[in-house]
Parts: sequence; C-alpha cells; structure tokens
Amino acid sequence: MSVKKFVVGNFDDEAVLFPAVKKVRRAGYRIHDVFTPFPIHGLDKEMGLRDTSLHTAGFIFGITGTTTAVSFITWALTTDWPINFGGKPFFSLPAWIPITFELTVLFAAVGMVLTFCWLCQLAPFVKKDHFNPRSTDDTFVMALECTDKTNDEELIAFLNSVGAKDVSVQYRETGWWLGRYDQDTVKYGKKVEAAS
Amino acid sequence: MLQANEASGFGRKLPSYQFDAAKVIVSLDADFLGNWMNPVENGVGYGKGRKIDEKNPQMSKHYQFEGHLSTTGANADERFTHRPSETGAVALALLAAINGSVSAPSIADAKLKAGIEKAAADLKTHNGAGLVVSGSNDVNVQIVVNAINAAIGAYGSTINWGVTSNYRQGVDKRVSDLLSQMEAGQVGALLIADANPVYTYFDGERFGKALAKVKLTVSFSERLDETTALCQYSVPTHHFLESWGDAEPKSGLVSFMQPTIHPLFKTRQWQTSLLKWSGNDTTYETYLRNYWSGKIGSVELFEESLSRGIWETPGTVSAGAYSGGALANAANAISAAPKVSGAEIVLYQKVSIGAGAGASNPWLQELPDPISKACWGNYALISMKMAKELLGLDLVNGSEKSKNNYEYYPQKPVIKIAIGEKSVELPVLVIPGMNENTIAVAVGYGRADSLGKTAAGIGANVYPFAKLNGETVSYSNAVEITDMKRKEKIAQMQIHNSYEGRLDVVRETTLATFKQRPTEILDARNHLKEAYGGKEGDFRKEGTLYGVHANPGLKWGMNIDMNACYGCGACVVACHAENNVPVVGKNEVLRYHDMHWLRIDRYFVSDKENPDDLKGVVFQPMMCQHCDNAPCENVCPVAATNHSSEGINQMAYNRCIGTRYCANNCPYKVRRFNWADYTGADSFKNNQDQQTVGKLNDVVFQMNDELTRMVLNPDVTVRSRGVMEKCSFCVQRTQAAKLQAKKENRPLLDGEAKTACQQACAGDAIIFGNVNDPNTQISKVREENPQRSFLVLEQLHVLPNVTYLAKVRNTDEIIPGKGHHAKPATEHAGAEEGAHH
Amino acid sequence: MALLRYESQARPPLVDGSKDYHQVTEDICRPVETKPSKLWWVGFLISVVLLIFGIISVAVEVIYGTGQWNLNKTIGWGWDITNFVWWVGIGHAGTLISAILLLFRQGWRTGVNRAAEAMTIFAVMCAGQFPIWHMGRVWDAFFVLPYPNTRGPLWVNFNSPLLWDVFAISTYFTVSLLFWYSGLLPDLATLRDRAKVKWRKFFYGVAAFGWTGSTKHWQRHEALSLVLAGLSTPLVLSVHTIVSFDFATSVIPGWHTTIFPPYFVAGAIFSGFAMVQTLLLVTRKVLALEDYITIEHIEVMNKVIVLTGSIVGIAYLTELFMAWYSAVPAENFAFFENRLNLNSPYGWSYWLMMGCNVLSPQIFWFRKMRRNILLTFFMSILVNIGMWFERFVIIVTSIYRDYLPSSWSTYYSPSIWEIGFYMGTFGLFFTCYFLFAKFFPVIAIAEIKHILKKNGESYKNNMTEVEQEEINKFGHDHSHDHGA
Repeated sequence: MSVKKFVVGNFDDEAVLFPAVKKVRRAGYRIHDVFTPFPIHGLDKEMGLRDTSLHTAGFIFGITGTTTAVSFITWALTTDWPINFGGKPFFSLPAWIPITFELTVLFAAVGMVLTFCWLCQLAPFVKKDHFNPRSTDDTFVMALECTDKTNDEELIAFLNSVGAKDVSVQYRETGWWLGRYDQDTVKYGKKVEAAS
Repeated sequence: MLQANEASGFGRKLPSYQFDAAKVIVSLDADFLGNWMNPVENGVGYGKGRKIDEKNPQMSKHYQFEGHLSTTGANADERFTHRPSETGAVALALLAAINGSVSAPSIADAKLKAGIEKAAADLKTHNGAGLVVSGSNDVNVQIVVNAINAAIGAYGSTINWGVTSNYRQGVDKRVSDLLSQMEAGQVGALLIADANPVYTYFDGERFGKALAKVKLTVSFSERLDETTALCQYSVPTHHFLESWGDAEPKSGLVSFMQPTIHPLFKTRQWQTSLLKWSGNDTTYETYLRNYWSGKIGSVELFEESLSRGIWETPGTVSAGAYSGGALANAANAISAAPKVSGAEIVLYQKVSIGAGAGASNPWLQELPDPISKACWGNYALISMKMAKELLGLDLVNGSEKSKNNYEYYPQKPVIKIAIGEKSVELPVLVIPGMNENTIAVAVGYGRADSLGKTAAGIGANVYPFAKLNGETVSYSNAVEITDMKRKEKIAQMQIHNSYEGRLDVVRETTLATFKQRPTEILDARNHLKEAYGGKEGDFRKEGTLYGVHANPGLKWGMNIDMNACYGCGACVVACHAENNVPVVGKNEVLRYHDMHWLRIDRYFVSDKENPDDLKGVVFQPMMCQHCDNAPCENVCPVAATNHSSEGINQMAYNRCIGTRYCANNCPYKVRRFNWADYTGADSFKNNQDQQTVGKLNDVVFQMNDELTRMVLNPDVTVRSRGVMEKCSFCVQRTQAAKLQAKKENRPLLDGEAKTACQQACAGDAIIFGNVNDPNTQISKVREENPQRSFLVLEQLHVLPNVTYLAKVRNTDEIIPGKGHHAKPATEHAGAEEGAHH
Repeated sequence: MALLRYESQARPPLVDGSKDYHQVTEDICRPVETKPSKLWWVGFLISVVLLIFGIISVAVEVIYGTGQWNLNKTIGWGWDITNFVWWVGIGHAGTLISAILLLFRQGWRTGVNRAAEAMTIFAVMCAGQFPIWHMGRVWDAFFVLPYPNTRGPLWVNFNSPLLWDVFAISTYFTVSLLFWYSGLLPDLATLRDRAKVKWRKFFYGVAAFGWTGSTKHWQRHEALSLVLAGLSTPLVLSVHTIVSFDFATSVIPGWHTTIFPPYFVAGAIFSGFAMVQTLLLVTRKVLALEDYITIEHIEVMNKVIVLTGSIVGIAYLTELFMAWYSAVPAENFAFFENRLNLNSPYGWSYWLMMGCNVLSPQIFWFRKMRRNILLTFFMSILVNIGMWFERFVIIVTSIYRDYLPSSWSTYYSPSIWEIGFYMGTFGLFFTCYFLFAKFFPVIAIAEIKHILKKNGESYKNNMTEVEQEEINKFGHDHSHDHGA
C-alpha cells in the first residue's frame, strides 16, 4: 500500500515484551504490529486485536459442504437418474453419510485455509517488507507508527525504557507486492529507505 | 456289439434304447451319458426318468458297475467298482443271479457281489421296465448282456428293434483285416474320410507304416492330422458347416445337412470328389437333391424336409427275435479269460474331446471334464488307496498339511504307465470312486503339431495302450506303474471336491429320506421366515431394513433341476459360444483365470471312513444368480452394475473400471474378470506377448485371428481387458424376443426367450422364463416342487432369482435328520447333517 | 479455564540441553542449510532405484493387464489392497499426533509432529497409488468422479464404499497437506530469512508465502490450526473407518464384521506410530536432533504403541469370540479354519500377525524397554510387518475359502510385479522423505520455541523459584489469562 515511517524496537524475551506492550498501549501509542517467531498466548488480546472470525468462516464452509453433498446426491440418485443398486432404496441417506462428512471437512478445511491466506495476504510470490529478519528467529519486534502527532525521539526513548533493544526508525512498505526474495524487487519502482 | 447282436439272432444291427421307459437301468461300464451310442438322446430319455413328481415321488434306479468314475457313473444311484477286466465276470454273475442260465463266477468283493444280486433282484421285479447296457467292446460280454436283456423283458419295451441305431456299423475285425492286407501289399488304393486311424487305432504306428505299402493313399480330412500326414494326397473336404449331407442316425429318421457359409478355403466335398473321379460331373448338392426328391416324392416335399432338417417315417416297436444259442460259448470264454493282477488301465473318452475330434476345438479343450474339473490335458485318474500305496500320498488319514498341499498346488505327482516298451508319463489326479487297481486316462490327446495350436502338445496319446482281444479292440489293459518322483501341473477349474456339509449351498438327499421327511428342505426355509419374516412370514420383504423394488411386467427367473443335470457341460460350451467368452489357454487356467460364466460345480459325496467308496456326485450348475439384493451392485463405485426392472443384474462393460470389488463381494463367485488382453480388443497394441508373468498360450492368439473371429456372436459385446463379466441371462436373446413380440404387437410368450444354456441342455435341467406369469413353465415348476426347491445361500437375503431342485438319488439309505429344532436356527447350514453318512 | 504456562519440574524436559531460541533455530535449520551427507545420498539413491523399479512394475501391469499379478477369480484383492490399507493406516499416526494431541494439549507432540505429518502425506500418496493402478482400466479412473457428462449424465454409485474411499482419501490427503503446509509457513519464513544463497532465498521466499510473524497473523494461524485439528480428528477416525467399510459392508465372512471401524483405527494408529518411531530414530541420530526428539518422546510413543497394540489384540480376540458365539458356520470357518488353524494354507500368516502385533509390543510395559532405542527400532519394524500381515490375513484368508467350496482357490503368492509395485511405493515414500529432510525442517521450529520456556531443560532448572511463589502472584504471572 504505502511506505510509512516506524519506530522499531527489538526484544529478546517475551516476559519483557508482554508488559512492554501493555505500557505502550497505556501510553497511547499506536502499535502497528508485533512480530514474533512463535505465537505468544494473550498477546493479541493485549494488543487489543479483535477475535478472528476464521472460526465462523470455517463453520459456514463446512455447512456448505454438508448441504452440497446431501442435496446433490439426493438429486442425482432420486430425481435425475435413479438406479436400483442391489435393491437399496433410491433415497439411502445412511450410505451417503461418509461422503457428506468428508465433504463437510474438505470444504471447511480448504475454505478456511484459503480464507486464512486471503486475510493474511499470503500466497506464493507475495513479498512483504520485513522490519527485522530475526523476527522469525529469536527476536520479538514491535513497530510503532510515527504519525504527525508523535515525536520520534520520544518514541525511541519510551521504547528503550520498556526494555527494547536496538531501537531504530525505519521506513517500511506496509502492503504486499509480487516479488522474489532473491532479488531486491521494489514496489512501484520506489526505493525503500532503511534508516539507521 | 454288432457282432454280439448278430450272434444273438438280431442281425448285425444296433437297436434304439428307450431310457425313459426304463425304471431300472444297469450299466456295465457304459458311459451312456458321456459317449456311448448317442449320449444326447440317452440323456433326454434318462432325464425324464429322473424327474420327480412331489405328489408321488418316484424315479428310475440306476446301477453302475465300472472300474473308473465316468460321467454316467457319477449320476448312478448305486455304484460298484471292479477291475475293468472283470466286466465279463460281472455280466455273468448278473445273468446267473437273474435266471441261473449260466454258472456264476466267483466274485471276491463282497460289496460287488451284493450289488450284483441287488441289481438282479431289482431287474427281476421290474420285468419289462429294465434295461442293461454295456460299454464293453468284447463280443462275449455283449452276448451275455443280450441274454440278460432277453431275460428281463427289455426287448420290445426298453430296447426297440423296430428302429435301429445306425451310429456304428463297422467292426474291429474289418480294420485289422485291412491292416494285414495293406501290409501284404494287397491294397491298391485307400481313400480315408472322417477317420484318423494312425492316431485312433490302437496299433496306429503299424497302420502308419502300412500306408507306405499302399500305392495310392488319399485323405479327405479337413485337417493335417496324423493320418493325412502319411498319405500321398490330401484332398480336404469342406467343414461340416460348409457341407451338404444326409444321415440316417436312426432308421426312419433322415437328417439333412446344408451349408451355412460358402467354403472359406480351397476345399471340395469328398462326395463331390468321388463323383468326379467316377466320371459323374454333378456336384454333390445336385446329386443329393435329385436322390432325395425322388425318395421323398417331390422337390417341394424335399425342400420342406430340408428346411425342417429331418424327414421322418414313423417306426414300429419290435422286440426282435432273440436266440440264446451263442450264450454258452460266450460264458465259457469269459470264465476262461485269465485274471489280471496288478494295475489296469482304462482308456475312456471325455465328454468334450471324445475320440479325438474335439482336440482342435479350444472351447472343448477348455471345458473342464465333469469328473476331474481339469482341462487342457489328460492325466491318470487314480484311487485314494493307490495314491497312498504307490505315491505315499495319503489323502484320507494323512496330515492336513499334506492334504492341503496336494489340493492347493497345481503340481501333481507324475507316474509312468508302461506296457512292455510302450510308456507315457502323466500326472495323476486322485479321486474317490475309482477301483483301487484301476487307473483311467482319457484318449484324444497327444496330437501331432500339424493339428494346430490348440491340440498340439497337449497331454499324451494313450491309444497305444489298447489291445486286440480276439477280434475286437479292448480299451483296458494291464499296465506297470512307476512313481517318477517329479511333478507336473494339471489345470483344474475346481480344486475342492466336497461341499463340506454346507446345506445352504447344496441340498442332496436320498429317495427314501425324501419320502420319509418330504418337508425337510421346506421346513428349513420356513425357519428363515420364522426367524426373520416377522409378522407376515415373508422373508423376502421383512428380512431387510429396506423396501422392495417393484417388478411390474416381466421378471426373469431360472430353475435348475439338479436331478436332471448329469454334468456333461454342454450348457457351458453353449454359453461360451453365445456370449463370446474368451478362451484363455492352459497357462491362464492354471492361474485360476478362466472365464466361464456358467460352471458346473461338482461335489463328491463320499463315505468319510472309506472315501474311495463314492455315494454320489452332485452337479450344480452355477451362474450369476441375478440377486434382487445383489451384493455386487452395491459396491461398484462407478455404477457399472445395477438391477433392471426385469430382475436381471446388468453389467455395463464400457463403464467398468475393473476394481473387482463386485467379484469379491459375490458370495457365489460367479463374476469373471478379463485379466489380460485375451481378445486383442483393447486399444493397447501388442500387449499379448508378456513373457515374465502370465505368458499366454498360442491358442489365445488362434482364437483372435481373422478367421476364428467369425465365430463371434454379433449380438454380444466383446469385452476388453480389465472389465468384469458374468452371466446376463442371455439378455441379447430376451431383448430380441421382446422386440419381436413388440413388432408383432403381442405379449411375449413363454419359451420365446431361451437362454443358451437352457437350449443346449439335453436333460432339460434348466428352465427360464417370466416368473410374474403364473402360466409359464418356470412358475409351474416352482409351484409344483416346493419340497425340493431351495435357493443357494438363501440366508444372506441376497434374493437370488435362480431356484434349484434338490438332488435326490434313488437309494434306501435314510440320512439322519437334524433332530427336532430346539434352538432357533438362524442359518440352517448345520455341519452335522449331510456330512456323516 | 485458562491454560497454565507453567509446568512442574517433576516432568522431564522435552527439550534437552540449554537451548535458547536462536539455538533452536540453528539446530533445526542446520541439516537443511548444509550440503547433503554421503549417508543422505546413499539413502536417496536407493529410494530412487526402488521408485524406478516400482514405475516399471506399474507400467508392465498397465500395459499387459492386472493379470500380471497373481490375483485370480476367487482372490480379487491381494497385495494391492493390503498395501493400500497398510499405507493409509500408517498415515493416520501423523494426523493423530498433529491434530488429536493438539486438542489434548500434549506438548511432546511438537518434537515429532512435523516429521509425522510429512510421513502422513507421503504415506497417503503411496496408499493412493494402489486403488489407482489396481484398476483393470485405469485410464477410465475418472469415471469415479461425479461430473456432468453427456452419458445421461451418468453419475456414480454413492452407495459404494469404494466411492466413499475416493472422497475420504482425497479429503484426507488435502486436509493433511493443508495442515502440514500451514504449519510449515512460519518455519519456511525462518529459513527464508536466514538464507544466504540465491536459490534458497528464491525457493523459501516463494514457499513461505510472505509470512512475517505478525501477531494478527499468528492469531489467525492459531485459530486455523485449532479448527483444522478439530476437523482432522474426526477425519482420522472417519477415513480409516471408511476404509474398513470396504470390508465391513460386504457379505463375505471374515470381512463382514462390525468391529472393523474401531479395530482398523486402533490398528492404524498402532502401525503409524511404529513407522514414526522407525523414521525418527534414524532422523534424530543422523541429523543430530536428539535434544528435540528425546527419549521422553520415544517413550511416550512406545506407550501409545503398547496401548493400541493391546486394543488390536482385544479386537482379534473379540472377533474369534464372536465367530464362535454367533454359531454361524461360515463365520466360524473363516476364523477357526482359515486363520487359527496352523495347518491351513495361510494359518502361518495369522499366527505371525498375532505374534508381531499382540505379543511383541507387550514388552513395552517395562520402562527400561520403552527407553531402549535399539529395541524400539526393532520393534517398530516388527509391528509394521505384523500390521501388514493383519491386512493380508483379513483380505486373503477370508476370501480364498468362502461360501461355495467349489470356488476355493489355489495358493496365492505375489508375482514379481506385485512385489515391485510395493517396493516402488517404499521408493516413493523414502524419496519424498529424504527430500523432505533435506529441504524442510523436520521439527516444527516455532512450536518448539513455543514450549521451550515450559519444557526446556534450562528453563526447568529455574523453576524452583516459581515453585516457591505466593499463590496469587503465581496465578497472575503464569496463568494464561493472568488471573483475569
């Protein structure tokens, strides 16, 4: 979407990160995002993120699967071309349970995964700007937005006070673009400044 | 027989045999259902006597005295084995027991003696309704048999001299005389038609050498058989389907042959050749037409007879004029004959191969022999006692493992059979019902390579083991047997011989038991209704969770009378021919890949204590039962098999992807899979030449060349590889019959649609028709035979549409019943009943 | 109720050594980032050779017909479906470890779940080969799909268990693949961010989908994993149940038993865990990951093995009991004659099965045995052999002598092409596994880090102070919702 300015702090212990997030929020700063190498329980609540509706989506996909299976099979075997298979009745629902169940699960799973990828903007050849490559290794990275109302030095000082290390100001692209990680491709031809 | 009849005052003729008029039949080694005289005619007559009217259960009584288990012997009610060389003694003993006109020879075997006496008593009681036949080629024995028939009043009742049988008119002496004349150089020219003496004559080698001494030898044979190969000229005649001809099998019954196809190759009818060589330039066709038009009366009348196929002049019934003059000498000759010790061989004709004519026909080679269920080869049938003594193979008391090893592997021990210099090595098959000193080997095998891919190299030729006995050829001989301590494979289609007391599969009983407990089978079936029939006692409707599909209009059903079926296998070949069933060859049969849609299951009913003693043999034709609740239909993933509204289990070949689940789920195992490209019909080129596994015999290729493909029935699909097939109740015939009725704007009549198997059955065992119509033959048969009707595996509630009528053999034995049913039998397949006899 | 983030010192650590997060990353990524060892090449090449043998065997069978196998008119299924069920069963352990153990909140799954899930996917791929190539007309395999066509349209037979299999196996494969891959995304991102070589940056960059580690994304990821786990659990149970229906819904005695669904599922878990043991015992040694796949992991999997083995044993005994108690002669025959009777042609296979599946795992009642690596390896092979024979026994011994004695069949043993096909699937499986071990992290890096503080050895050593904390402070500091 666009390049923005951020103040970025790195933490190496989630026990430090957690209270830091609390303090930052109480201080009123807007946390753009926190990048962690593994999920930390309760962090999303702490950051004030709303609950994901992926569950609901999964359920809806699942129900779609069930309905598709039952209605299609019923139509095909009772209306479109009823065939006498071994003397069984044309509408033999017990026999269709396995397929119905499997389609429910299939629709739910595939639907959810695709929704997940769509929501998180994940796909092959999608490239995003990373604040710190060690955020997938052992570093917890908190990025605070720099708006007109914020003061860079204040933010840097505040982050240092809550326990962040290597605090810096960075300009980062917030959206995604199609690119390859082995090349320094840039979005829309703009160069990205990586400040100190 | 001809000479014996001459000696007995009837002239050198053969009479007609009325098996349907006989209430007691005694066969002295005559395979009258297999190959004696006209087995089809015999079968029709015999079958009539085996049908049982439930209101007044009666049937003919058939005694068989023989050395080996023949097809006819398998159907006998009481059977006694003896050495083949003892046939004469048995005949004498029988005559002695009937009227004492000869002195009885000593019969060592108590059982045999008792059997002879019982048969004699029975014949005497049924004077005028008895028939004694013998397959012996010994003149003296046949003279004694004639005396027996005279004594029991058979002539004029069961044997009719008013109409003679003309199948055999030559005598062995003429051939041996010819041979001497040929060797002496007295024969200038020899023309051979419809005969193959170099192969079928017991001294064929000598005959072959003698041919060289004849100045002109011409063979009219269609094939380059053993004799033709040694003749100077081969002038092949037409195939019988390309020929004109006439025949008078019975006096007064003239049958006409006309071609069904133009000659395919450069052949000429041998009759035309003879005409030409005698200076007459007419074709045989013209000659024939002129002759018969004159004989019958007019050209129109001849044409009518030709289209009907026969011209009949009714015959009379005559008892002939029997004279017993030759009896005394015959009796003395028999008594004086030296006794044989050691092993004896019997040369028999298989129903399929016959004397050798069937060897070039792949269908006949692949037809399993009714007794051994083996095909593509001959082998020595031996008794269980001999197996133990000679080969150390104890199939009675041996370990279960050794019994299993014998059964489950196609490799069987090989023995060498030798008479002097002559010997053959053949694998053995151990069966019950053989005389302990007798081995039996089928003739017709061991053919020359020139006969083609089907016959060449299959089995061994045992004709040389026949011998000259006085003036006639005897087909039994004393032999030396040695264990060769190696094994050879026998291709069998069925390896297990007992029905294991499974009453849900086979129901067989004796007449005495049936009279005493006529409702036994019906009661067992009613138990199912009680257990599962719920309120209305309708097992069909209530033994299931689901509803029942309606069958308005036509519903096809079949009934098989196991009493009328004598196991010949004509139905199997008919089904093959009608439905384009592929021939797979010996290698594939060995791998249990045969393709028979219809098979005849053969179960031996044997005494557990003395299994060589056979009580009876059950033949159960088994084909797709067209179950209304078919387990196969339910499991096909692609809906390739389903049920028609007429009750037929349909198979859509072009939908089948070959998962074989249906075959696994079929409890009757009637489905057959195309394991390889037997027909060359799939779209893969050159995929019939596999080498490592499943190498196909040459015969498979022979069945698929341009010429033999003309045998295919155009009304039936040829299935490709990877597709499942099974009996379709000849759906092409039912559809054709319905269509014909539709075109003529009338309902379908009973009997218009006949399945191929029904049509071919001589015993009239198979009845097929519309079960929704109470007036059809099938409905009547089912209605009139409730006490013998049963469904195979009825308890599975698959609702088969084929009913069977239980086999009843005419003995006095009472089979112990199951006692009173205290426990609620869920399935009536008790292991007790039927197994302990 | 909230999850405790504290775990007692009494429980042994699941991650040995003094590891921190970076060390974890280093340890697990090292095998991926270094050049393949000689051992790897040897194993990989052997697998490829087996795979090629398999391809040739299948080609011969497709060209010349299913007759290239020694199946016949009575025994329509033999090695083909035995192998199919065997492979599918093995696959189930992976899903169980990933899904069911996630729902049961078992931390130890994190050491083994990645490799186990990969094993599932490869096993299902191998399993799927058999129903495809065993068809007589495999080029018409698409007939099983209900797509609109010009032949009516002719649909498929939805009542057929084989069709249920089609849906079940494809669903299972798809869901397993999705579950595995969605779990892999963060780890692939780790590899991407550490990559120094160009092709690695490209490959892992594409594979990681642009994962950043954003908290919102993690939140969704957790939700996804939980729901997928919740979906996969009944999937594990249902898929093998459906496979068992191939037999249970038939009429053949020995096949037609209602005990099959639980029996098959237990057996699947049994053989799957054994295969996981086989794979991981070698993997941990070769890739030097003993600190992550610890003896604790081995031991607890052995416990599962003895449990499921015993369930399977009980199922066998139940079958025998019911065969007798039912007084159905055909049923009785199938079990007591075709199987139990050592003198029958296949009696040996039944006893082999009993020995391997029921008797031998009982050794794992003893703690010392459970913790013995060599014994575990040997046992895992034995269990898989036993489980193969279980399917062979079920399929072949029931059908070679069933209702009509006239159809009782000659002795069935496989042809070279059947053996080749089976070997080929081993080739496929191990080729894929070797490639997986080379290019993907065999342990779930993010998940290990997730439990490191609770279960890591170094952290456990510091737990004493926590154990002495006052209750409220403890609750506040260590519970998931901070006492909320």
